Amino acid sequence: MYDTIVIGAGLSGMMAAIGRAERGEKVLVLAKGYGATHWSTSCIDLLAGCDDPFHGITQLAAQRPHHPYALAGPTMIEGGIARLRAICEAAGYPLVGNLNRHMLLPTALGALRPTTFAPVTMIAGDARQLRDGRPTLIAGFAELRDFFPPLIAANLRAQGIAATAAQLAMPPVGRQRDFSPATLARLCEQPAFRASLGEQLAALARQGDYARIGLPAILGLKHATEVVRDLQNRAGALVFEIPTLPVSVPGMRLYQILEDEFLRLGGRIQLGGFVQRGESISDTLVAVFSEAAAREQRHAARRWVLATGGILGGGARATPEGYVRETALDLPLQAPAGRAGWFAPRFLNEEGHPIFQSGVRVDERLRPLDAAGRLVYDNVMVVGGALAGFDPIREGCLEGAAIATGWMAGMS
Amino acid sequence: MQTISTDVLVIGGGATGTGCALDLAMRGIRCVLVEKGDLTHGTTGRYHGLLHSGGRYVTKDPQSATECAHENAILRRIMPHCIEPTSGFFVITPWDDESYGDVFVANCQRTGVPVQEISVAEMLRREPVLNPRISRVFEVPDASADSFLATHSVALAAREYGADIRTYHNVVDLIRVGDQVMGAIVEDLRSGERIRIDCAYVLNAAGAWAGKIAAMAGVTVTVVPGKGTMVAMNHRMVNTVVNRCKLPSDGDIIVPIHTVAVIGTTDVHVPDPDVFGIEPEEIQFMLDEGEKLIPGFRQYRALRAWAGVRPLYKDKDVASDRDIPRTFKLLDHEARDGVRGILSIVGGKWTTYRLMAEQTVNELARRLGNTQPCRTASEVLPVPRFEHRAHSTVTVSPDPAAQTPHYWLGKPLALVESEHAAGELICECELVTRERILAAIDAGAHNLDDIRRDVRMGMGPCQGGWCIYRTANLLYERRCANGLTHTNANEAIMHFLQERWKGLTSVLWGDQLRQARLDELIYVGVLGIQYLRPLAEPGGGLVTQHPAIATEYVQA
Repeated sequence: MYDTIVIGAGLSGMMAAIGRAERGEKVLVLAKGYGATHWSTSCIDLLAGCDDPFHGITQLAAQRPHHPYALAGPTMIEGGIARLRAICEAAGYPLVGNLNRHMLLPTALGALRPTTFAPVTMIAGDARQLRDGRPTLIAGFAELRDFFPPLIAANLRAQGIAATAAQLAMPPVGRQRDFSPATLARLCEQPAFRASLGEQLAALARQGDYARIGLPAILGLKHATEVVRDLQNRAGALVFEIPTLPVSVPGMRLYQILEDEFLRLGGRIQLGGFVQRGESISDTLVAVFSEAAAREQRHAARRWVLATGGILGGGARATPEGYVRETALDLPLQAPAGRAGWFAPRFLNEEGHPIFQSGVRVDERLRPLDAAGRLVYDNVMVVGGALAGFDPIREGCLEGAAIATGWMAGMS
Repeated sequence: MQTISTDVLVIGGGATGTGCALDLAMRGIRCVLVEKGDLTHGTTGRYHGLLHSGGRYVTKDPQSATECAHENAILRRIMPHCIEPTSGFFVITPWDDESYGDVFVANCQRTGVPVQEISVAEMLRREPVLNPRISRVFEVPDASADSFLATHSVALAAREYGADIRTYHNVVDLIRVGDQVMGAIVEDLRSGERIRIDCAYVLNAAGAWAGKIAAMAGVTVTVVPGKGTMVAMNHRMVNTVVNRCKLPSDGDIIVPIHTVAVIGTTDVHVPDPDVFGIEPEEIQFMLDEGEKLIPGFRQYRALRAWAGVRPLYKDKDVASDRDIPRTFKLLDHEARDGVRGILSIVGGKWTTYRLMAEQTVNELARRLGNTQPCRTASEVLPVPRFEHRAHSTVTVSPDPAAQTPHYWLGKPLALVESEHAAGELICECELVTRERILAAIDAGAHNLDDIRRDVRMGMGPCQGGWCIYRTANLLYERRCANGLTHTNANEAIMHFLQERWKGLTSVLWGDQLRQARLDELIYVGVLGIQYLRPLAEPGGGLVTQHPAIATEYVQA
């Protein structure tokens, strides 16, 4: 019997689990697999489309009382971010930034993306610094299929950054083919590989008088901060990482840090457990059943956090007939009525697509409500992408909303 | 304005037009082919990929059936690399009329379509997922065909024989002096330049667009654009073409082709071949019909839906569009309308494209005083370079099956494995290597959608999540020295994302909806492509936005 079972191992679930474990509870994280951390940049996006993210959040919360930010409130937003930063700092992988200011970090296409906190390995890429007129090099490996320096550099030049592209020669390694971001990250932790990389970067930096060098985000898995520092020393230039297509190496790092912290606090993680249904006594959820290899497994707890995500995370699933189902507990969902309202004709329209705002409607304590506004379970809290009424990708608040609501579930 | 002159100007770069261009060129007749989009941009690139045995037409359209049976054997010989010899079943399900079975066999025999009844047990041994309640099964020589590759192969052969094939050239007007058509004004959509083409004959092979072309010469050709909607499913649940044994109707055929199985089709009259929508009801209806052939069909993942417009020629009043004969007709506008110098070839289907070309070019050759015989039935077609080179060199894989000239399902994987090219896969779903993408770019693919048609990049379950980014970068790196700018590359990505979206929305639910959201996370969340909108503009020869080639999907 657990005090709390958190269903889902993404950012919101791990924050909730850490919060509960810190309070001395016996906590299980039960998840089908990893969360969206492994797909994302691992930067902490708070809110796009504003100059001061924290101020933007306050305004948003006033206008949209059902938005996750409004439910969580400023204390939980600040508190959650502070706790996450402390955990990452202690793990030697600080998240740098300021609640009242965006950084603009280059993407693997050369767009400048606003974000609020970024791993220390990325911050030398902030456009404010890149625009100081000193030359920047964008370098990668031809063998890596998920990062192409020439287009990144060309797009950066068009935005006032003196960027040039170069391809690095793959240092001699045991393998000749199939270099994924994760493979390269492991190679970067080998001193010989890093030395060869450093030599090449130093030669290029001397040649082009580069003040900064942007590389794909593959600079180590466990010791990224040291890898970056080492390469900077060897190259004589600042080095910054640019997130690649999934699988995201920085996302793997962030997840690992959260997992380590949770385990340190005595928590338990069970991946590969896809929760299929619940068992309740009136408005109390007493157990859930997960699908395992050969049999259903029953898990019992006093309190529950549902952190299964929305359509992306797999917490909500749409049927061809036009319904959207909550996959773990079959909770009532708030979703557009019928397929006709699901999509906008243009993929990249600004507002996104209504179907992706589907989720669980909750009360002020994050407890699930049905369509009539009645409480479904008294001892369940819903966090992160599983919540209704917002689009974390389009609003640029994926990590922020996950941390704020996850931390709220961890603290209350 | 630049002027070029030729014997025959072929309008339309689908199967029929390119087939005519090859036949003309083989006989030594000078020809220019113009196509407003890419090769197969019209109906040829939007069909289910069935090489007809003729079985579908034995009862209602016996002439078509006989033509199909004849051409089926020829195409297997001249383009083996485009054809997977799947064989085909006609099955009687509990929803079909039992008595049609005997009629079907008799009509197959009458029309020359080879047919053999097999036992239900034998059918289930070969295709275990088919409905066990099927009562009778007839086997016919259906197969699946890659119409993109076939058309490229035909065009390649035509070019080798001296034909001048120009894609992204839109006919702006036909030049008519008195009762004589003298040529055409065409616009190169890449540069905006106009060219005058003088010719002895214009051959209108514009398919569903033939009426629009004929109107430019002041003659009326009534082509009924019959919209057929198809859905590609993410599994080859069958490796044999499966037809319902009944009169042709909606959702009654499943064609396994490459990595997918396609269910088709509907037949809805649309007023304009450039403006149509895909109704959600059409999709649901076809999935329900699929369920009758394969119980559990709905549980498979639908990848995308698309529609092509059949170029049905309406001779006189017929009750339903499906009753219009599927055979083709060569219209001599001199005899028919008193306008000389123009012929229209209308109707027909992919399987009979070569025969249509032969009869059309016979007529043109006669008029031009050319006495060379048609040789298209005997000359084997060349393989474009962007296709796996093993189609032409047979020593790559030790597996004897890989050395057959025919396409087979495991072939791309066998080749990637034998070349140890897994790390070079740009499109992992469809096993497309960097080398093939670059070959397609070098062969003249203009934008990402062209590359998709050439090598199937972006056609698998992830719908381009990874490979759109990778391919756009390869295109930029390959072409940036020739005037392709970063703004054009940004536009190419946005254009292709939108093209994919059109085909996706009607089948997005379950896992495929989740996949679409992941693609949104990649392009919006990780790559921030929306911030590059001010830095995206058409150009660089990509032809992404021209109204002449835009297909408007009406939001259903």
